[in-house]
Amino acid sequence: MDAIAWSGMVCTFGNREQMAVTEDKTTTSEGALAPQHAQASPYPGGVRGLISRAVTSLEIDTRMFGMIIGLVVIWVGFHIWTGGTFLTPRNLWFLTVQTAIVAIMATGMVLIIVTRNIDLSVGSMLGFIGMFMALMQAEWLPSIFGFDQWYTWIIVLIAGLILGAIIGLIQGAVVAYAGVPSFIVTLGGLLVWRGLSWVMAHGRTIAPMDVTFQLLGGGARGTVGGPISWSIAIVASLAIVLLLISRRRNRLKFGFRVRPFWADLALMVLGPALVIVAVWFLNQYYMPEAVAQQFAQENGLEVPPGGLEIPFGLANPVLIALGTAIVMTFIATRRRFGRYVYSIGGNPEAAQLSGIRTKRLIMLTFMVMGILVGLAAAVQIARLNSATAGLGTLQELSVIAAAVIGGTSLTGGVGTVFGAVLGALFMQSLQSGMVLVGIETAMQDVVIGVVLVAAVVADVAYRRRQAA
Amino acid sequence: MKRSRHLFALLAALAMFVAACGGDGADGDTSTSAATGATGGEGDITIGFSWNNFNEERWSKFDEPAFVAAIEAGGAEYIKADAASSAEQQLTDVENLISQGADVIVILAQDTQAILPAVESASSQGIPVIAYDRLIEDDRALYLTFDNVGVGRIMAEVLFEQVSSGNFAIIKGNGSDANSDFLRAGMEEVIGDAVAAGDITIVCEEYTDDWLAEVAQETMEQCLTQNGNDIQAALVENDGMAGGVVAALDAQGLAGQIPVTGQDGDAAALNRVALGTQLVSVWKDARILGQIAGEAALALAGGAALEDIPDVIEFESPGGNTMTSILLDPTPITTENLNLVVDGGVISQEDLCQGVAAGSVEICG
Repeated sequence: MDAIAWSGMVCTFGNREQMAVTEDKTTTSEGALAPQHAQASPYPGGVRGLISRAVTSLEIDTRMFGMIIGLVVIWVGFHIWTGGTFLTPRNLWFLTVQTAIVAIMATGMVLIIVTRNIDLSVGSMLGFIGMFMALMQAEWLPSIFGFDQWYTWIIVLIAGLILGAIIGLIQGAVVAYAGVPSFIVTLGGLLVWRGLSWVMAHGRTIAPMDVTFQLLGGGARGTVGGPISWSIAIVASLAIVLLLISRRRNRLKFGFRVRPFWADLALMVLGPALVIVAVWFLNQYYMPEAVAQQFAQENGLEVPPGGLEIPFGLANPVLIALGTAIVMTFIATRRRFGRYVYSIGGNPEAAQLSGIRTKRLIMLTFMVMGILVGLAAAVQIARLNSATAGLGTLQELSVIAAAVIGGTSLTGGVGTVFGAVLGALFMQSLQSGMVLVGIETAMQDVVIGVVLVAAVVADVAYRRRQAA
Repeated sequence: MKRSRHLFALLAALAMFVAACGGDGADGDTSTSAATGATGGEGDITIGFSWNNFNEERWSKFDEPAFVAAIEAGGAEYIKADAASSAEQQLTDVENLISQGADVIVILAQDTQAILPAVESASSQGIPVIAYDRLIEDDRALYLTFDNVGVGRIMAEVLFEQVSSGNFAIIKGNGSDANSDFLRAGMEEVIGDAVAAGDITIVCEEYTDDWLAEVAQETMEQCLTQNGNDIQAALVENDGMAGGVVAALDAQGLAGQIPVTGQDGDAAALNRVALGTQLVSVWKDARILGQIAGEAALALAGGAALEDIPDVIEFESPGGNTMTSILLDPTPITTENLNLVVDGGVISQEDLCQGVAAGSVEICG
């Protein structure tokens, strides 16, 4: 990994064009390791050999592949166990919404952990920023402008993001410049922010939220509807195809190895197909009768005798989470900031010696984390339509677990944003499924704990095999 | 690593504490204490009150004024001490109150065990002791509190009047908090027969980590999904979680159609009661507790025995003592009696009625 980090780092002194290529190169080198597995397989010509060769040609990260398989297994398992409730549009729709908050924060946690740090304060921070934003829209702003102004939500959201950035900067500065281990700084933060949110509201529950602000949280109205969901699916499909084409062109231009043509073509079909199937499936979740009737009344629609079938479409929190994941992936892989972060994680001394301002960068990763917590807090209080004293308690553990299950290594340098989002989805699938089948809370914790450790054990074993 | 684990345990404990106390603060308006200190009436009777702290605004805002009003009406003098959350300090405080000539000592104990020497010392001098709101493990003390099993019973009773059959969801508090089970036991007293007869089916029953509202919301979402929205009522053990449950119902357009319970008299919950999305918030009126304590103190000062105080019952404490107790019934707040919380200063009319359609609730006009 160090070598890869180095090459990424050295390259970043060049122009952006080259940077993008280096990124490709890192993937290539990972992909290049995989054929050894294929050869090590005792049945090179068998089905296993075929699958592993296909996986290699498609350059799918085998870890990620394993996790997707795991996800499919628990989905199908729960589907059978719940007697056919799990894989319904409605349940998966809720699953996406329930995953969103942890996923948003996990994308930032990856960068923190990649630099060999940790942020234990995110749960308390979410509570503090959430309480701040709740008070602002339920008490402070209304006392000046009155309730439910159209602009309230935007002022509140921006203030929350700024507050998150400030908190992140403070914690990051202490970690980076004062040299206090991040475990301690953010452990302090865990107490401080929780305490301050208590002081701010004296333990009261603040509700309700601004009417427009509530849309951030999904709910009956916070969705984009069927047509826009389809448009998003089409745009995303086109983007996947275009990205694959430009990537192939770039690689050819610089003489790097490319996938076989059939593999690229397969991805161009499979990727968009997956997006379209997902949106099609989620769009089968129609508004419940009561909501649909209200919707029809407001929009002057006739209610046919068979009832209305209006799709909810994708929920706002899900779109926010997906948007965040895309932006964070871009930052992590295509921006100098992101590449530096990985090089610091890979080898801090080397990064510093090569002129990277490591302290500043570490501080900035905490600031990014703070902003993301602010965003997650906004979604959380909007979804709950209130801010409570315990809001976000123990969330830090879900966020860290999501990042770790998603393949982020606590020893630094390794981890992807996409993996963390998948990790969050994996955890939430387990949790939601267990609630659905009625497993008691204590046993849920046991299962999740075991799965977390098992995931890391598998990961460590996998890496060791790769290194050997 | 070991140290960090301890830290985590401590933090978890702290978080639970914070969550459990979440409902206690009633309203944020800081009112100045109505404490009159040692300037009481001119009667012969002096009643000492040892408070463990004044950090929670409830004490100075509701309990103390009601208590002082009650004893001053009986011509007694009020003296007090604040132990600032220190169990050691509270022992000294009680000694001081005795030496200041208190005829009865009322104690809001910091610790049920550590306070025992003070009770011993007061009792040996023939001074009656009242354990205020928190248990003191000594059967010579009169124990005054709200009936927690009763809270669950009242929730279920109010709900049962509306819905007496169908699918019920029960969202309980933290599994390691004894209160969760007390509340559930109270509910069982009301719905138990209907469940046994098959009129009521409990389709979901889950504990909620740390009484977290967001966790309750997810539980309710899953419960609705599993039952295809075929749920007729939700028994929820406190107001914070009720907020999460109502949010889950709202996403299905069912808020206000499926009755939801809660307790604590949270401002947000009272607003939901006015809006019609929550059926009831069971409210422990601290002023009643203060007043009853004042009246009991007067009676004890007049020489009455513990057993002679009105409405006392025997209560088996967790420590195995048979306490002479008054367990007060909390007040269910529904749309019918919202005026109680406004008159009681728990919530302003403006906050209570925010977003409430004109003409739907009497107090909101």
